[in-house]
Amino acid sequence: MKFFFPDSQDQIDPSFDFISEERSIYRVRQRDDHYAHEALRASPFDGLLVSKAIVDGLPGAAGKYTAPQRQRLYRVGVRDFFRLDERHDRRLETMGDCGAFTYVRDDVPPYTADEVVDFYEGCGFDLGISIDHVILGYDKTADTDASHPHRDGWQQRQQITLELAAEFRSRARARKARFTPVGVAQGWSPTSYAASVSALQKIGYSRVAMGGMVPLKTPDILACLEAVNVVRKSSTQLHLLGISRCENVEAFAANGVTSFDSTSAFRQSFKDDHDNYYALDRNYSALRVPQVDGNPKLKARIRAGQVSQAQAIKLERQCLQAVRRYDTGTVTIETVLELLREYDQLCDGRKDRTASYQQTLEAQLWRDCQCGLCESAGIEIALFRGSERNKRRGFHNLHVFRQRLARELEGTAA
Amino acid sequence: MTTSRRRGDLTSPPIEQELRLPALQVRQGPNRILYSFAVDGKELPRFATVSRIRRDTDAGIQGYQRPEVLSHITSIRKYLESEDPMIPNAIVIAFDKRVLFEPSGPADAYACPGTLVIPIDDQGADADKPGWVVDGQQRCAAIREARVESFPICVTAFITESDAEQRSQFILVNSTKPLPKGLIYELLPSTVGALPVALQVRRFPATLLEHLNYDSDSPLQSLIQTPTTPEGVIKDNSILRMLENSLSDGALYPYRYAGTGEGDVDSMLAMIKDFWTAVRDTFPSAWALPPRRSRLMHGVGIIGMGYLMDAIGDRYAHIRTPTVDDFRYELDEIADVCEWTSGTWRFAPDHHRKWNDLQNTPGDIRLLSNYILGEYRVQTMGRRVRRQQRA
Ligand SMILES: [Zn+2]
Repeated sequence: MKFFFPDSQDQIDPSFDFISEERSIYRVRQRDDHYAHEALRASPFDGLLVSKAIVDGLPGAAGKYTAPQRQRLYRVGVRDFFRLDERHDRRLETMGDCGAFTYVRDDVPPYTADEVVDFYEGCGFDLGISIDHVILGYDKTADTDASHPHRDGWQQRQQITLELAAEFRSRARARKARFTPVGVAQGWSPTSYAASVSALQKIGYSRVAMGGMVPLKTPDILACLEAVNVVRKSSTQLHLLGISRCENVEAFAANGVTSFDSTSAFRQSFKDDHDNYYALDRNYSALRVPQVDGNPKLKARIRAGQVSQAQAIKLERQCLQAVRRYDTGTVTIETVLELLREYDQLCDGRKDRTASYQQTLEAQLWRDCQCGLCESAGIEIALFRGSERNKRRGFHNLHVFRQRLARELEGTAA
Repeated sequence: MTTSRRRGDLTSPPIEQELRLPALQVRQGPNRILYSFAVDGKELPRFATVSRIRRDTDAGIQGYQRPEVLSHITSIRKYLESEDPMIPNAIVIAFDKRVLFEPSGPADAYACPGTLVIPIDDQGADADKPGWVVDGQQRCAAIREARVESFPICVTAFITESDAEQRSQFILVNSTKPLPKGLIYELLPSTVGALPVALQVRRFPATLLEHLNYDSDSPLQSLIQTPTTPEGVIKDNSILRMLENSLSDGALYPYRYAGTGEGDVDSMLAMIKDFWTAVRDTFPSAWALPPRRSRLMHGVGIIGMGYLMDAIGDRYAHIRTPTVDDFRYELDEIADVCEWTSGTWRFAPDHHRKWNDLQNTPGDIRLLSNYILGEYRVQTMGRRVRRQQRA
């Protein structure tokens, strides 16, 4: 089972100093920064998923890459750009896709088959996913009920996806493209997903990505995979787009899934309110010490003269100092919790996080973690504060996710 | 007028301490008196504070200062912690009537030496301090935060009881026009010492620009428009962006020194000059014209061609640094599809644009760059295939 990580230009700056909160002023973004596969002791993923929408943007909307970065990616290719060959423990694979969720509201996908082949070939991907159009909805009754309000729209999207898959494969063959084409199955029910996979096999695909399943409940995903399994040739490999759900990985594998991609472990570190710091058996809450200058709500209250900026800065500093002293054993846990609560009251004050913070402080995950970042960052990695700390914790979460995955797969033939 | 200040309040505790500073009293007009003195910036918070803008309970406006801008303070603080910093401009403080001036020498027409006596109460609340910072709150905060023992600073002060007068002074000193960017860029190369970060990282590209504009062997000599070279046709900002793109992601990157933000100037200049010499030779009729007559001299052309320099530099990276001849040879590949001064760009079978319909927008720069580089890739790929076929 291979785990691909979708790139969103998330790196950490090794020159960042936690105490002064400063970085080298001459740092060149991306080039001097480290990706997860560089920052962690072992790469947490087997490959990278890079989407055309993130690199190139959409008509009228910029992507996540600067223009010079994009030009360099096209010049040097995906392996050099992401410095994938500088890790020698194993070869990391590269998969390209179109980023269908970015244009999900449009009537038709914004790219032509040729443009997408250009992107995959130009960047030198190992695998290239055909252009798809996501179906937002899951309802078995649309299979049979001709008056179902979404039936026509869903069928149309499935049709567009299949037509583009056929065109994409023939353009790639005609141009002797070196990447392996991957077709996308879109559907709204087990039957419709099975029909897509069977059509894609007829076109000639032996690798199929299952799209649009992110919002589905796990039993529904499994029902679809089981229906697909009936028509699936034994040689056809499935990829799950955007699905992590570690605990079901064995069942996924049993139905022909050989790879998946997900950002959730990483994103949880700064998106989730509570479960944002992973340990093998449970998640913890990172300690919120927002920057006075970086918290929009607090900033607005300061600007309005409702909160004293000097008081906020003082509390912020006291929290940081107390957390660090707790780690060196010179301050009690009660003092830290009290200061965190006081600062939280000033910033937000909607709920008391003391109990979960106590668990985090007592667990001291950063002390024995072998990820490669906890050792260097120490307790700083447990702070919910600014992207340099949050991304490091996100990388740590990826490391733990990888271990959870390995544990789930133990006993099954991975 | 509502005021939350309790100045000269009879119930306030007796003043225990005072600061006596040598000062100069300056008479600016019949009713205008200023005081000029120096004080350790670390001492400032003892007698002066900032009047934060807010609404009181009756929705009346109080104070006038915005909050401290932490990023700005950090930038000044770093400068203060650098070697040999200097802040020549004075901080402006409004004092209340508790501050006194004792003349000590002969007064001439407008100046009189003496001593300024400032009451200090270290236990007192901020609002009871005799001074309000009218201009320089970010500088004061930076000095307060800086990891330096002390930092003496010039202060200009006036004495008033009026909030309204403080406010108008505050607006006056803060509404001056910032320096034009072009002037700053032109001055940058000949500065020494620390500058604000945004300018410090631009100093090196600005140095390269200066060489390109003034070296006698530069094909761009006198072509870049700056305050002292107004006849130049290429915008300084276009050249800076081309250079910065290449320094971060292109052919100049290998020559940069990671720790200092500088680099091997000679090697960089050799490459840039050779490339633009080849561009001039390849497109003689589009060269040195104003941008409205030649898109090559327009931001769109300069930045797009900069990417091409990077692409050619990459192709040659493991053979040699490309020479003028190499660049000319490579530029030949795309010369036919360029429509710098007339005609129509054929970006795609169904996407044509008149030569002068390209503007200096991110979208158009990207369109042209992608086109030039795409054509270049196709041509060089074709060349490889032809070579393989011959072999
Ligand atoms: Zn860790």
